[in-house]
This record gives sequence, C-alpha cells and structure tokens, in this order.
Amino acid sequence: MAISNGDARTEIRGWLKENVTGSGEVADDYALIENGMLTSLQTVELVMFMEERFDIVVEDEELDEENFGSIDAIAGLVESKAAA
Amino acid sequence: MYPEFTLHDLLRNSAELYPGKAAIVDGKAEHTYEDMARQSSALCAALQDAGVEKGDRVGILMEKSWEAIVAMLAASQAGAAFVNLNPLFKPPQVSYVAKDCDVRVMIGDSNKLAAMEPGTVERAFYKGDRPDSDGVSGELTDLTEGLQSGDSPRETRLVSEVDLGTILYTSGSTGMPKGVSTSQRNLVVGAQIVSTYLENTKEDRILSALPLNFDAGLNQFTTALRVGATLALQRSRLPGDLLKGLRRHEITGVAGVPPLWSLLLRGVKSIQEEPLAHLRYISNTGGRIPQANLDELRRLLEPSGTKIYLMYGLTEAFRSTYLPPEEIGRGTECIGKAIPDTQIMVINKEGKECAPGEVGELVHCGPTVAMGYWGKEEATRKAYRPNPLAPPELLDVERVVYSGDNVRRDEEGFLYFIGREDGMIKSQGYRMSPEEIENLLISSGLVHEACAFGLPDPDLGHQVIAVVSLKDGGYESVVEEIREYVAKNGPPYMVPKAIMIQDDLPKTGSGKIDRKGISNAYTNG
Repeated sequence: MAISNGDARTEIRGWLKENVTGSGEVADDYALIENGMLTSLQTVELVMFMEERFDIVVEDEELDEENFGSIDAIAGLVESKAAA
Repeated sequence: MYPEFTLHDLLRNSAELYPGKAAIVDGKAEHTYEDMARQSSALCAALQDAGVEKGDRVGILMEKSWEAIVAMLAASQAGAAFVNLNPLFKPPQVSYVAKDCDVRVMIGDSNKLAAMEPGTVERAFYKGDRPDSDGVSGELTDLTEGLQSGDSPRETRLVSEVDLGTILYTSGSTGMPKGVSTSQRNLVVGAQIVSTYLENTKEDRILSALPLNFDAGLNQFTTALRVGATLALQRSRLPGDLLKGLRRHEITGVAGVPPLWSLLLRGVKSIQEEPLAHLRYISNTGGRIPQANLDELRRLLEPSGTKIYLMYGLTEAFRSTYLPPEEIGRGTECIGKAIPDTQIMVINKEGKECAPGEVGELVHCGPTVAMGYWGKEEATRKAYRPNPLAPPELLDVERVVYSGDNVRRDEEGFLYFIGREDGMIKSQGYRMSPEEIENLLISSGLVHEACAFGLPDPDLGHQVIAVVSLKDGGYESVVEEIREYVAKNGPPYMVPKAIMIQDDLPKTGSGKIDRKGISNAYTNG
C-alpha cells in the first residue's frame, strides 16, 4: 500500500487529537516527547494504531525518540516503512 | 576513606579512589569522578557568591542531566538542601514548591525558568540561553560559567549528618504535596543499605531511568556514587531507547516502576534474539507489577542471570522492604522483609503488634526515617510518631513512620501488601492526593464541584478519574476544554483518563463531597 507523507501526517494528527490532550494545535516539528506531551505509554498505543492502520511493522528497536519525537519524524517513519 | 556522613563525603571518597573512572554518562558525554568533584566545588563557590547560606534551599528544575547531578552535590557542599523538582511540573507546581520551602536559588533549564510564573524565585542559574523571564526577580547567572570556573568553595562549612540534605516532594491522601525533609544521614544510610543488599560495586553500570525527584531515582544515584559505579542517565522510556541504553552501556542494574517494565516487555523479540547478558539485576518499586508481566520478565531475564528484586518504600522513610530474588515465587503482593538495619512492625488499631496473618498498618523504624514534613507540624505529628513498641523508659527519643499502608505478615515473617484505606491515588509510580487534582480542575474556572479518585488499573496502579459538576450547565464539549486546561497546568500523570459530568455531586452527612461513595459507584458500576 502506498501512503504519502501527507496522508500519514493527517492520520497521525487525527489519532493525536483523539488521544493526546493539547496536541490539536502543535506544529509538525514540535518535540512531542521532550515536551512531555506524548507519554511513553501513549507512544506504544500510537504504534499499535499505526501498525494496524498502515499495515506496517515497527520493530522494538525502532520505537525510540528519534522516530517518534515529532509528527514530522513519525510521518517519515511511516513513509519509509510503507515504501519498503 | 572518609567516614560517610554527608552526600559530598561519598563523592570525596569516590573521587579519591577512582578519579579517572566514568561517574556519569549523559548522552554521548562521559564525566569522571574527578570532574564531578571539581565542578561541584566550583558550583558550590558560585552558589556561595550568589548568597546561599547554610540551611538554605536550592531548587533544581531540569531534565535529568550531568548538570542536575552536579547541582545536588554543590548544594550539599554549601550546606544547603537541594530540592529536585519534577521536570514534568508545570509553572503552578513549580511556584507551589518554590514558595512552600522558600527556594533561595533555582538552578534550571532555560526554557523551564522562562516559563515560571512572575517572581517565583529571586536568583537563578540557567543552562542554555539566557532566559527572558520575569520568573526570576533578581540576578541570572550562566550555569556553565559556574561549573567551569575552577574555583574552590569560599569557605569550608561544617556540614554534619543531622543537617537537612534534601526535600523530596510527595503527595499524601489529603491536601497539596508535602516536602519530606530528608537529612544527610538519611541520604547516606539509604545508599549504604541499598548498595548492601543489591551488592553494588564499582564494576556496576547502572541505568537511571527514574526521575531524580523520586526517592528511588535519587537513591540509585547515591548508591552509584557511594560505590564508585557508573550511572548512565536515561531520559526516554521508549522501548527502543531502553534497549539501546541497556546494550550500549552494558548495564548491570536498573530500577523501575511497573509501567517501565511494560514498556521494556514490548522489546521481547529483541531481548530473545540478543539477551541482556550484562544485566545483573532489575529492581521494581512504586507499585505492584502485574503477575503476568513479572512472569514474562522472569522467563525473559532469569535464564541469562538477571536477578529480580521487588522493593517497597515510602518517601517518608526512603526505602522500607525488599523481596530477595530467590523468594520471587511468593507472588507480587509480597513485599518481602525489612531492608538491612531496619525494623518493620505491623501495628493494629489498638497500637499492638499484629499476630501472623492479622492485617495492620506498616510502621517503619530505622535510620532512613526522615525528619518530617517541611513546615507541616500536624501532618508530621500524624505520620512520625514515637515507637509504639519501645520501652517507656526511652521516652520520646525515637520516631517511626506510620505508612498508611495495610499489610499482613506470614508465619515466616514475609510481608504482604493489602491496600490503603484513604483515597490516595498512585498512578505510574506517582502519588497524588485527590484534592490536588480537584483543585486543579476547579482552578480551570469551568468546574463547580470536583471529585477525583483512582480506578484500579493493572498496568498503571490507578487510572485518574474525575467526576465534575459544571459552572454553566452541562455541555459535553467543555470536557475537552477542562482536560486541556489540566494538561497545560499540571503534569501529564494528573490528567484524568476520564472526566464525567454529573449535575450535583453527592455529599456526606457533614456536607463534604462523598468521594468514597462516588468512587465506589463508578468502580463497581
């Protein structure tokens, strides 16, 4: 399945808005984890959503701050996974 | 070896014995014990120049970092008490703590200092760019300059074990958070006791994944400092980062709270493929691990030689009990036996020691019993009382801590956690009083009455639930607005998982909101 970066962004934003309080207006490069907005446990929930929605597998080692630090980073991960 | 009386005595010993050894790993940077001694002396001088006197409080408001570690040691050397503020705190909580214990100087990350409410402190040392802030009414100093000056303390102040070492903020079942006044002796003895039963040595490489404002997180640092081990600072708790931290630093020991293990267990496949061969022990504190997670951790870690310690402690006495690894089969309710040099009593309502099997309150007696709650006489008298079993001839010399936790002891002397009778909420290892959350909800200006309680949750301990009545009638859309207010003005763990609207909250006979009744109705309904 081909997923554009833009699609991924929209879906991730939608999930955040639903599940993470205060995430409605953040910029794509906002440091979600560093600023304490996205907790570790929520990140794990987000991964489960992404795996199901985009039909991708996120390896244990990939579940880190580098890949999940911002909407930009998460969309980039989805895009690279979906293209593979 | 110097005798161990103060936190900075521990540093002096390790700096003399292992000057070139890595004390702290912070990201890519490694800092030796020699660096630690030099920079904390320099910062001590800078604090003295900034007017810090013996007995003052120095706040530390930063993400876990090398600088945060040095700041504690510098304050200790200056004879001041350090106060680690939870990095997740929002400006209202920072103000509360700064005011409550009269923080003289705040050492902080620039962005955190910049966000503080006007006039929170008089003086500050900042890490990063100079903050543009009215949170600091007086002078601002660059922390890096303070650390790098190479200066020595202006005067040697006699600091002894009975001096206040730190204030640890924690919540009880009522009111706003209280500062537990912890002496230098409490800090040192806590490090001695825990390093004894975890058998820590200078060969250990310990992963610091808990916050330093939390007694167990602070204790990991003091333990490492005492034995000359290496402490690797871990900020991210994401499974990938945890695995990388454990492997990259060849970690031998890690302490965590139950949610941390859930996160680590996401990495089952990776650990199976590449076992954590260096990991000598893990220790759990801050709540009960779900049995399924404990079984999984045992299956995953024990074959490669990792021991699992279950610990129990309350901030008021630092650490209380632990279950040795070989007894792990007793189940997750078992909190083991007293830590070394400590007595744990189980006291019934008549003030007598319970018989085996009888449920009573856990009462802690030993050298880690803290000095009391900062500035709160009534609360101190309630929790810190004379030893009920001491001979009357000893008069009022020894105080013990009444934990509020109900436990029972079996025939073999093992203790089992039963629960609490009050409404204290414990989620993700954090203690909160319902009132603290209710106050935050009400300060949103949208809520008329609020009731918060903890709904039992296997992973988190409790989920925070709030039932509110609204000021201007019941509109569902207000719920999100309230939640956003709480998220902006409080730490993430205080944000209720669910906010329910009820027109009129039930009251008790005395007219107070019937928290117990509401909580029971929702928990069982």
